[in-house]
Amino acid sequence: MTDVLLELGKNPLARKLVASAKLPIPMPQGLVRLQGARTERFLEGKNVLVSGVSPLTDVLSRSLSRAGATSHVDSAALAQAFVPAAEAYGRPTKLLIPDEAAEAEPAHALILDTSSFASPEDLKQLYTFINKYLPRLSRNGRIVLLGREPEEASTLGEGAARQALDGFTRSLAKELGGKGTTANLVYIASDAKERLPAVLRFLLSPASAFVTAQPFHVSARAGWNDEDPWHQPLQNRVALVTGAARGIGEATARTLAAEGALVVCLDRPEDDEPLSQVTREIGGKAILCDVSDPTAGAYIASELHKLHGGVDIVVHNAGVTRDRTLARMPERSWDQVLGINLAALIKITDALLAEGTLRDQGRIISLASISGIAGNTGQTNYAASKAGVIGFTRYLANQVAKRGITVNAVAPGFIETRMTAAVPVVVREAGRRLSALGQGGQPEDVARAITFFAEPGSAGVTGQVLRVCGGALLGA
Amino acid sequence: MSTQGSKRRAVIVGGMRTPFAKAFTELKELDTIALGAAATSALLRKLELPHKEIDSVVWGGVVLPPLSVNIGREIVLDLGLPTSIEAMTVTRACASGLQAITTAASAIERGDADVVIAGGSDSTSNAPITFPTKVTRTLAPLALSGKATPQDIFGALAQLVPLSEVLPRQPRVAERTTGEVMGESAERMAQRNEISRQAQDELALRSHQRAARAIATGVFDDEVAKIETPNGFVHVDTLVRADTSLDKLSRLKPVFAKAGTITAGNATALTDGAAAVVLMSEEKARALGYTPLAALRSWSYVAVDPADQLLIGPAIAVPRALAKAGYELSDIDVIDMHEAFAAQVLSVLKMLDSQAFAEERLGRSKPVGAVDIDKMNIYGGSVAIGHPFAATGARMATTMAYELARSNKSTALLGICAAGGLGAAAVLERV
Repeated sequence: MTDVLLELGKNPLARKLVASAKLPIPMPQGLVRLQGARTERFLEGKNVLVSGVSPLTDVLSRSLSRAGATSHVDSAALAQAFVPAAEAYGRPTKLLIPDEAAEAEPAHALILDTSSFASPEDLKQLYTFINKYLPRLSRNGRIVLLGREPEEASTLGEGAARQALDGFTRSLAKELGGKGTTANLVYIASDAKERLPAVLRFLLSPASAFVTAQPFHVSARAGWNDEDPWHQPLQNRVALVTGAARGIGEATARTLAAEGALVVCLDRPEDDEPLSQVTREIGGKAILCDVSDPTAGAYIASELHKLHGGVDIVVHNAGVTRDRTLARMPERSWDQVLGINLAALIKITDALLAEGTLRDQGRIISLASISGIAGNTGQTNYAASKAGVIGFTRYLANQVAKRGITVNAVAPGFIETRMTAAVPVVVREAGRRLSALGQGGQPEDVARAITFFAEPGSAGVTGQVLRVCGGALLGA
Repeated sequence: MSTQGSKRRAVIVGGMRTPFAKAFTELKELDTIALGAAATSALLRKLELPHKEIDSVVWGGVVLPPLSVNIGREIVLDLGLPTSIEAMTVTRACASGLQAITTAASAIERGDADVVIAGGSDSTSNAPITFPTKVTRTLAPLALSGKATPQDIFGALAQLVPLSEVLPRQPRVAERTTGEVMGESAERMAQRNEISRQAQDELALRSHQRAARAIATGVFDDEVAKIETPNGFVHVDTLVRADTSLDKLSRLKPVFAKAGTITAGNATALTDGAAAVVLMSEEKARALGYTPLAALRSWSYVAVDPADQLLIGPAIAVPRALAKAGYELSDIDVIDMHEAFAAQVLSVLKMLDSQAFAEERLGRSKPVGAVDIDKMNIYGGSVAIGHPFAATGARMATTMAYELARSNKSTALLGICAAGGLGAAAVLERV
């Protein structure tokens, strides 16, 4: 279903008219999305404004310079800290001159490193830096706050200041969503700074277009072999995507393949035709199987062994809805939803772990849902299954961390799919507009988030649920 | 690959080149084959090498003659050398000359050959004017079928509008993938590595002064042949300006950007010329009574993304070639670094001496090191002498080989950047 307002908003004249007439029509900003594979220097020619010196600076400066950004920093000390990376990649750092804030060339991103914040007074820097340089931020811009884990705080003031970042980021995301700009927060454990680059790449690139107002936690919980390729990160990795015949599953299979993965697409035997179409186009392999079949786990494990000798990335995407209020829900609807969305996922995972099919440094990514976080009328079964997926994710992450396997979940908000196209127009409009970005997401947006978790460099992120919701108000 | 561990060693027995001349001037009547033949015959005369000993010719070319791309073979035939001498032509942009030499050295190390002529030539003056594909596709069937009626011809011509699409394109030294002219790439490198105009002009001045002194003191007498052209003899490099000064250089206008730093004075000019060396296995050289000038110790070819810093390759190739040779930069006595642009050389030197570059881009804990300007391009470089693309590698190898032979220096390093983001380096050692 076309989003008429979004299409209208792409027309500058229409934007102007609506604005000048002060019409109460939302004009969502069209989002810039990634086409095909990510490139190494995705920030080539872009300006990034940075504030805050900390032990993270070397990782941050290396990531920005390697990505091709020109960094503008607000202190001489920070400029000094940026020198090595700037020199190695030939990206001279520039010192921000406060008075030229408004007239200077536009910036793609503002990055504030709050690692040194020790008390609520330090929070003033959030105001000072962002208030001053916000006018320079272009549409579809990025704001990224870096901070230390509140749990690691050593004083009361530190703990409070660190947690304060969360409310700040969420509010800022809501304020800037109309410009297509996102604001996200990354908490980095003190022993995990080398794992920051993959998260930065995701947040600063168009891959995260529909991710806003989210906190990320980077830790050293999962084992890691230091591998972090920037180009074609999934080369030689085998990925299994369930429910790959259409929608988010199909988009995920395509995106994983674009980043180099050998993708094994799985769907029900009756979806043979669309599945083989996808498989053919991405040069992948297909497994036809009903995930809720009691023998599915063993079958999938043996097929993966036969095809590629194992698997590195498992995307649990297959899922169904059977919406009815609980009072009117047939038992079958309950059984189907819980069976396919949750029980099958556990059985398949068990089989892949028991048979040694999932290799070390593996990645498990499951589809949760905003419903599983916020609840939704008519979805007791679905919400229970998706909340169960979150429980599965958190529990399993601890179990397999030693093997370097990460387990994460993605919770899509309103995504433009066949499923959402079928809902009544009023509900659909509400789903689209009740979010910071004022529009629905695309299946590709969810696929990009999944692909981010699938990267070898994303070893710092595990046991987490990432909302890909455009800053939806629901359950936030 | 390095010669270490292999029994056979490839040595340079002699080298010779034509004078280098600005394109469309003294050497314009000689195409790349004629230039290559001139350098080769002068070298064979100097070495008094019995032609029957030659196994093969490996030649480098960048602007290849469309109807006879295997320049090496044409040289053999034009010079009346034994027709049994097999030949090939290699192309690796500005590293083509070095490529010819290392390809020859590989063959010798493997035992495939004992005596190989390696070199390269380019004549920008004779670069073929290419027509856009549309013209070729429209006119070629008419020209080749031989049965076209006037109607056919007019019909075909009618397709060739607008005119701008069918006029021959001016040949440009531009990257195919980025469309960027090489000077623009160098200009961006100057900005990104913060190389000043003055530093570039100083390098250019030094290049001219050193080349002029080398010519005046006869350093090149062993290496540069007198060449006969339809318009008379050419016996000396024509681009070298003994009388240039920092003042003159600083007054030149930037060419590639308004506020840029690259001028005609601190970049290479389009040049015509050829250079050749004779390589032999060490045993064969001694058996034939030659004293080898230098041996090929190691080499390395690398590549970077041409859209990033097109000409930074030598900063990566140099440490690799040194590592293969088992040397540090401090073990090197003399260096010849191809000067495509002064800005590019200075960028490479800056990166070789950068701790950050070493850690981040080379995986080394220490920088490769500061290049001693007194050891580098001691007889000038490409900015002064000129740069016939494929001849440069053989020119550098020749100059370095003679330097090792006549001085008490024992190691020489060559570094070359090339289109496509390629970088090349080689280490020569005294025999």
